[in-house]
Amino acid sequence: MSQPVVSVRGVELSFSGVKALQGVDFDVFDNELFAVIGPNGAGKTSIFNVLSGVYRPQQGSVEFAGSDIRGMRPHRIANLGMARTFQNIELFENLDVVDNLMLGRHAHLGYGWPAAVAWLGKAKRAEVANRRRVEEIIDFLEIEGYRQLPVGMLPYGIQKRIELGRALAMEPKLLLLDEPVAGMNGEETEDMARFILDIRNELHIPMILVEHDMGLVMDLADRVMAMDFGKPVATGTPHEVQSHPDVIRAYLGPVDDATLAEVQGELA
Amino acid sequence: MTTLPQRIRTRAQETPDRIAMREKNYGLWDEITWADYWERSSLVGHALLALGVEVGDRVAVHSENRCEWLFSDIGITAVRAGTVGLYPTNPAPEVLHVLRDSGSCVLIAEDQEQVDQYLEIADELPDLRTVVYIDPRGIHDRYTDERLMSWDAFLALGEQHRTEHPDAVTERLEAARPDDLATLVYTSGTTGPPKGAMLSMDNVEFVIETLQSGGAFVDPPASDRDLVVSYLPLCHVAERVFTTWFNAAVGSQVNFAESIETVQQALREVQPTLLFGVPRIWEKIAAGVHIRMSGASWFKRKNFEFWMKRAEWIGRTLVENQGNHTASTKAVYAIGWLCLYRPLRERLGLAKVRYAASGAAPIAPEVLEFFMGIGIPMHEVYGMTENSAIATANMAGRVKVGTVGEPQVGAEVRIDDETGEILTRHRGTFVGYWNNPEATARTIDADGWLHTGDVGEWVDGSHIKITDRIKDIIITAGGKNISPSEIENSLKSSPYIKEAIVIGDRRKYLTALIGIELDTVGNWAQERKLGFTTYRDLSQKPEVIALVQSIVDETNRKFASVETIKRFAMLPKELDHEEGELTATQKIKRSAINERFAEAIEGLYSDSSQEVKA
Repeated sequence: MSQPVVSVRGVELSFSGVKALQGVDFDVFDNELFAVIGPNGAGKTSIFNVLSGVYRPQQGSVEFAGSDIRGMRPHRIANLGMARTFQNIELFENLDVVDNLMLGRHAHLGYGWPAAVAWLGKAKRAEVANRRRVEEIIDFLEIEGYRQLPVGMLPYGIQKRIELGRALAMEPKLLLLDEPVAGMNGEETEDMARFILDIRNELHIPMILVEHDMGLVMDLADRVMAMDFGKPVATGTPHEVQSHPDVIRAYLGPVDDATLAEVQGELA
Repeated sequence: MTTLPQRIRTRAQETPDRIAMREKNYGLWDEITWADYWERSSLVGHALLALGVEVGDRVAVHSENRCEWLFSDIGITAVRAGTVGLYPTNPAPEVLHVLRDSGSCVLIAEDQEQVDQYLEIADELPDLRTVVYIDPRGIHDRYTDERLMSWDAFLALGEQHRTEHPDAVTERLEAARPDDLATLVYTSGTTGPPKGAMLSMDNVEFVIETLQSGGAFVDPPASDRDLVVSYLPLCHVAERVFTTWFNAAVGSQVNFAESIETVQQALREVQPTLLFGVPRIWEKIAAGVHIRMSGASWFKRKNFEFWMKRAEWIGRTLVENQGNHTASTKAVYAIGWLCLYRPLRERLGLAKVRYAASGAAPIAPEVLEFFMGIGIPMHEVYGMTENSAIATANMAGRVKVGTVGEPQVGAEVRIDDETGEILTRHRGTFVGYWNNPEATARTIDADGWLHTGDVGEWVDGSHIKITDRIKDIIITAGGKNISPSEIENSLKSSPYIKEAIVIGDRRKYLTALIGIELDTVGNWAQERKLGFTTYRDLSQKPEVIALVQSIVDETNRKFASVETIKRFAMLPKELDHEEGELTATQKIKRSAINERFAEAIEGLYSDSSQEVKA
């Protein structure tokens, strides 16, 4: 495999004595869909917050796109090409869909406020190019019908899609998806799964996915890292991780060998 | 003779730079000239020749409406093959039936969804050699089935073939004969699997000539200044008339929305001049206006209510005057136009509609009146696949509401004395059902009359009123003949009722299954602070049942005592094409309904202690 897009080594994160992350190591490669699973409080979202610069880990290294980003401010990491979606939707409710997506183009504006005020040459050209890119995302995510509607009015599943669209508008080198199908019904989940696959296959953007929906993770992910109490317990293909004894214990609590074999049999 | 593809070629030669159609992509309307139209259609023709398509072969198209549908249709017929259209909503078993029954050798599919459907059934389709997909997303680089080919590769194949055999398509085009198969239209019979109705090149030509001469629908006749939005399934004969055949006949411009979800927006942007809709569409637009208004500000609401009252009066007066204005309706309309009708029509995308038509199913008079009242000239028209959609139409200034109009110029229409069945005869009478001579013999008699299966009667000796499908007529236990659709349409004219199925064949009295309109009833419930979760939950609320009871009571007052609904039951779910309760064109399959809801129906006739509601 080629150079990893993201390389995390020995990351430790604690909040006044509570160890949120311990000894986290993983790499994500080009064109890979990497999933992080684990019970509640296992540290999945903490990993995202370390990657995107919300938290600064006390120890370890985080490398992204060839730079050491540990402790870097979130907006600088975003400018390097890391985009994310949130567990709870974080959109501008009173702006319409196009404006929300245009915000995702912020890093690609390429002009300052004087040019914007004068609205000449460069600013206009850049705006047109950005609008075109936004239209491609609207087409990609099949949200043509909602263009001019304020985001706050739209159904939950569509809002999730628009949040994904805003992240895509950044043309990221890495996409972090925090529970993209949480709270969705079957049909919405299916749609989202198809979009995630299309992002990998058509746009070739590597992704890190945190998700509770085990079926989705097992179907989509190339590799999975299972976490428990802030520590990775297993990393590998979905199947390997699913039948790993420590992973089963993480979900079911301490079990004897017979039960373990039974569960593994069920999963096989 | 001239043929449809020849007409496209002629337009490309005479007006190469005029706009034949537009398609919205990435938020912008892309224009396609007549030269482009013919260029891409002839490439499709060449590609099909390269794939070995012979005269009389069938090529299937499974896609939403988009310009590639038209390129394919023209390319297919240019090489004297027949186009087989599939509904985008067809579930896999029906796709299999149509592809296998027609023996299609090439399938042009829109995207991954359709390709997946095809892959599911590929093993059962030995005749199908190539599947062309228009939208490569999710397919290319991932699917390995060797029968798959992208649209770009398909056109490149055509280009290569054209270099090697520059005159191949032209030769086929010139050799066309009137009895060549133009298209197989699978009619979504309400009983049994769909049958493929064969329309010949000459049938299509008859329609085109009728449209051109102005003997048909539109007055003054349609021209190249007219705009059309193409949105109903193109495999249906009615949309083929309004999209492809009008366009070929008079050069009207076709506009394609981005997707089926954005049709309303496309209407607003295009403001078409000709618009065809099925009753369901018109009902939905009318209901949508009322829903949106109920959430408007006080002043807007009062203005709306005031002018809708006037519109009702205008609509009624127009109906009494065969669609003609009187001096007073004209004056009232003029003021109303400033206050409500103009902005309302603009919002609906109907500001410039000079001719609107409703067909394919009966429409409630109230809905017609609504549109006529706000100034949209609505006409009910009648036709079916088997007569190439040409039978009767209400003409401007001679509208009789409740009828489907007068026989079209060039069409013979009569009513059978014994059975009351409507019969038609003209050059557009279809050739027959594909591989089904028995069904053909039942439909076209020895004198060439087409038996429509609709029962009707003359009104004032000039217009035809359809009472029902011959098979649907209910004969009660008392021996009375009752037409259920009249009662059903009266019920469905309420914005709260989406489906109504009247039952009573060989029974003591009539009952009905009622399905509510989720949007409007949901809105009604919210205004009354009634919480609900699902469709089922909402439809079982006592308040909702009472609402439906009041609508049933109102309808009952319009009918004779034997024709009144004594009891009704609420449908627990929305009827669905995929579950076999509706046809692809959203018509009710009575047999399936009777089976599925047998228990509920028996309940309506059981002699429980519960009092029979009068």
